[in-house]
Amino acid sequence: MKPLSISALAVLGAVSRAIRYGFDIMDATGLPSGTVYPVLGRLERDGYVRSKWESQVVAQREKRPPRRYYEITASGARALAESAEHYRTLGARLGIPARRTPAK
Amino acid sequence: MRDDLSRDARAVYDRCMRIVRAAGVLVPDRRRDEWTREWSGELWYRALLLDRARPNDRHGERRLMIRTVGAIPHAAWTLTDEMRIDPMLQDLKYAMRGLVKRPAFAALIVATLALGIGANTAMFSIVNSVLFRPLPYERPTELVYMYGAFRQGSQAMVSPPDYLDYRERNSVFSSLAARTVFGTAVITGSTEPERVASSIASANFFTTLGVKPYRGRVFLPEEEQGDHAVAILSYGLWQRRYGGDVRIIGKTIPIDGRPHTVIGIMPPVLDRTMDVQIWRPIPFRTNEMSVRRFHFLRLVGRLKPGVTIAQAQRHMDGIARDLAAQYPENESWRLNLVPYRDVVIGGVGPVLLVLLGAVGVVLLIACGNVASLLLARASARSGEMAVRTALGAGRSRLVRQLLTESLLLGVAAGVAGLVLGHYLLVVVRAVGDGMLPRLAEVDIDGTVLAFTFGVSLLTSLVFGAAPALHAARTDLAAMMKSLGKSSATRSGVSTRDVLVVAQVALSVVLLVGAGLLVRSLWRLQDVKTGFDPSGLVAASVSLPPTKYTNRDAEVRFWDQFFERVRAIPGVESVAATTLFPLRGGGDTYFYIDGRPPATDADKMNATVSSVTEDYFTTMRIPLVAGRVFNTSDRTGAGVMIVSDALARRLFPGASALGKRLVVDFGKPFVGEIVGVVGDVRIYGQANDAPEVMYFASRQPNAGWGVGFGNLATRVRGDPEAVASQLRAAVRALDPDVPLSAIQSVESILYDSVAAPRFRTQLLVGFAGVALILAVVGLYGMLAYSVTQRSREMGIRMALGARPTAVFRMVIRQGMALVVVGIVLGVAGAFGATRLLAAQLFAVKATDPIVFGSVAITLAVAGLAACIVPARRATKADPIAALRMD
Repeated sequence: MKPLSISALAVLGAVSRAIRYGFDIMDATGLPSGTVYPVLGRLERDGYVRSKWESQVVAQREKRPPRRYYEITASGARALAESAEHYRTLGARLGIPARRTPAK
Repeated sequence: MRDDLSRDARAVYDRCMRIVRAAGVLVPDRRRDEWTREWSGELWYRALLLDRARPNDRHGERRLMIRTVGAIPHAAWTLTDEMRIDPMLQDLKYAMRGLVKRPAFAALIVATLALGIGANTAMFSIVNSVLFRPLPYERPTELVYMYGAFRQGSQAMVSPPDYLDYRERNSVFSSLAARTVFGTAVITGSTEPERVASSIASANFFTTLGVKPYRGRVFLPEEEQGDHAVAILSYGLWQRRYGGDVRIIGKTIPIDGRPHTVIGIMPPVLDRTMDVQIWRPIPFRTNEMSVRRFHFLRLVGRLKPGVTIAQAQRHMDGIARDLAAQYPENESWRLNLVPYRDVVIGGVGPVLLVLLGAVGVVLLIACGNVASLLLARASARSGEMAVRTALGAGRSRLVRQLLTESLLLGVAAGVAGLVLGHYLLVVVRAVGDGMLPRLAEVDIDGTVLAFTFGVSLLTSLVFGAAPALHAARTDLAAMMKSLGKSSATRSGVSTRDVLVVAQVALSVVLLVGAGLLVRSLWRLQDVKTGFDPSGLVAASVSLPPTKYTNRDAEVRFWDQFFERVRAIPGVESVAATTLFPLRGGGDTYFYIDGRPPATDADKMNATVSSVTEDYFTTMRIPLVAGRVFNTSDRTGAGVMIVSDALARRLFPGASALGKRLVVDFGKPFVGEIVGVVGDVRIYGQANDAPEVMYFASRQPNAGWGVGFGNLATRVRGDPEAVASQLRAAVRALDPDVPLSAIQSVESILYDSVAAPRFRTQLLVGFAGVALILAVVGLYGMLAYSVTQRSREMGIRMALGARPTAVFRMVIRQGMALVVVGIVLGVAGAFGATRLLAAQLFAVKATDPIVFGSVAITLAVAGLAACIVPARRATKADPIAALRMD
């Protein structure tokens, strides 16, 4: 499997930590919106995340339109683990000391 | 309800959503709704958070806006993602990427095609508006135009009593109207007096056409009975003279010295037969409208539903026979019915279609060049194609890929061509004013858009077919072998040979057509007019009949006026005539004294011109025999001067001097011929000189009076400079007398051939573009072929071929194509120029000079295109060639 790009890894990592909304992911990853949304689109297309609309009830209670949120899938979790491993080994091979990686 | 946001936050949200919606244009339709909702959900939420945390947080608002800009790459991404799924879009994406990688190549192709498509768009817009679009009237196909017809002519006029009888008795027209087609009126009043085109019409004239007034009303039925001084103004006159003020309606203005009430304004765009500034009702009850012999009306009728023009003609012929039985003066008179549209369009239909064909040929040649370019690239890309085939791309997939590229290029060129066409039309409207009927109506409408789109698609297929078929035919093994060597296959080159031959042949056809028109125009401009136009200024002066009621008053005016004009510095001489070249005139019956005609059919007629004594010297019309008029002719026996052609017809082999003619001016005038002068082409250089009888304007009973005169002033230096002084001279004498149509005679002559010049320029332009494209095509083909064969050339030279032999070989290869093209083109031109025959003046459609010079031009241009590639071929390096394998 081809490893995820760094930005895809960051986004998928955020989603896996239950940061589910587009703008929240931007806040968490520091990536711009023009990167985060296409990455989310690609991840969804590849089956690593799935998107849902928040319940109408909640939105209506807060008098706002519903937001779309993203959840990681099983294969997404696998890809995240594999890619994280890939970059870790890559770092090690290049002599970059390992730091604490985003915990599952 | 979403009322939870403060007004400020709501404004921020709205601003962000505007960006989102703009970016959303890129998003494929089926995804757009969800895509927009996702953004709106997030933005609203964020705006809400901002509001709650700290109202009016400018920094936070700005951050939100910046983030929203990310919607643009997001939208672009969804578009490309969609393309990945759809194979059509995938081809498109691939094609775009290919073209973006070679921007110069793509730009060259798009520019070439856009030129062709733009010219076609412009030309088609003209044809569409002039020929195809209906006239601006109600159900225009029902309208019929009617001339009077008798034995000698089918475009004569109809008399008012005849018209009333036709209107009364016919059962084929739902409405039958009449109007005059020549005529002027003088408007006086607050500003300078002005002579304008004017018509009188039956009260039902505008309702017959179905023309609604722009303002006010049209004539009432009772206004053609009795004496009603009412007038309808044209839109142009209303704007120009009355500043578009609606309050003019109901007011009175003096027309021909009599107050008239303005009742309406016509709409701006009518047809050219309606180019009249003042409309007044025909006073049918007056004496001069009751004479059956006075023909001065043309009729317009609206056919009843289901009646054909042929049926109407038969029906009206029946009425004409009844009238002839009833009134002897109606002997042999009838009506000639033609579709109204034919009268409006005149003879330009075939010309326009020829030009449309020509511009289509230019596009075809442009397609040839593009096809040739794409073929060259296809050869260069054969490696790529081979790899794609090897990787499993089917042949149909490759063809589709290439056609997608062509379509993309064609559509891009179509858009560029539409823009170009729009600007070409702006130019044509400015330059071609008055040379084409309905030119003001010309614009790009839905039909034109559809045409341009169709042409773009068709064009893509035409120039895309060759490379696509080439790709489909090529065999994989050969391509793989040639991988990396990029040698052209034989079939590719031969297709391009055919393209070059076709381009040369087509440009020969266009050049021959253009050459014929140019020669025809030269011939036309070389025609001797019979007088010397240089330094002559023409102007029209008309004396208001209400003020100049008798001949003495008129004569007094002219005497004083001439005196003032002669005093203007730079004026050599001045004269007046009733018949000025290219400005109309009239004719009458006459017979040789002592030989009155036995029947009406034996009557002879000739054109009449009343002139002042200085006329012939001022115009420099040569005296053939006898003398010109002098002051002694103001009294005494009747005298006249005839034109050479008339003298020779009446008295062949004998002198006309001393002979007497009896001329019908209402009452007979007997004149002795005292002089014979040279013929003058009064009706333009394309028309023969009419036979003219000249009368001394000061001689009583000769001619029709001198209330209206065309002034001819011969000046030294700039003719235009005296215009203002002429005007001042008139105003000083009598401010109520209008002086109009001041123009140098040379420019009148120049304008008279404006229409043929315009179409000649157009065709020459098209042919020039065709020639350039064909030469570029030939050059490109040869240059490419030499590059491909550089190894062959090198080996030839390594084996001892001299550079001159190589040079000659390339020239021979190129010129063979050129010669075949010229031969085919000449053959084609023989057929095609027949279409032009009617437009040619004194040049045959098979003029050998034109055919010869076109053939030579193309041969020389072709040779020039061959020389550079041929010289390059001689520079092929034998060593490099041998090393290549």
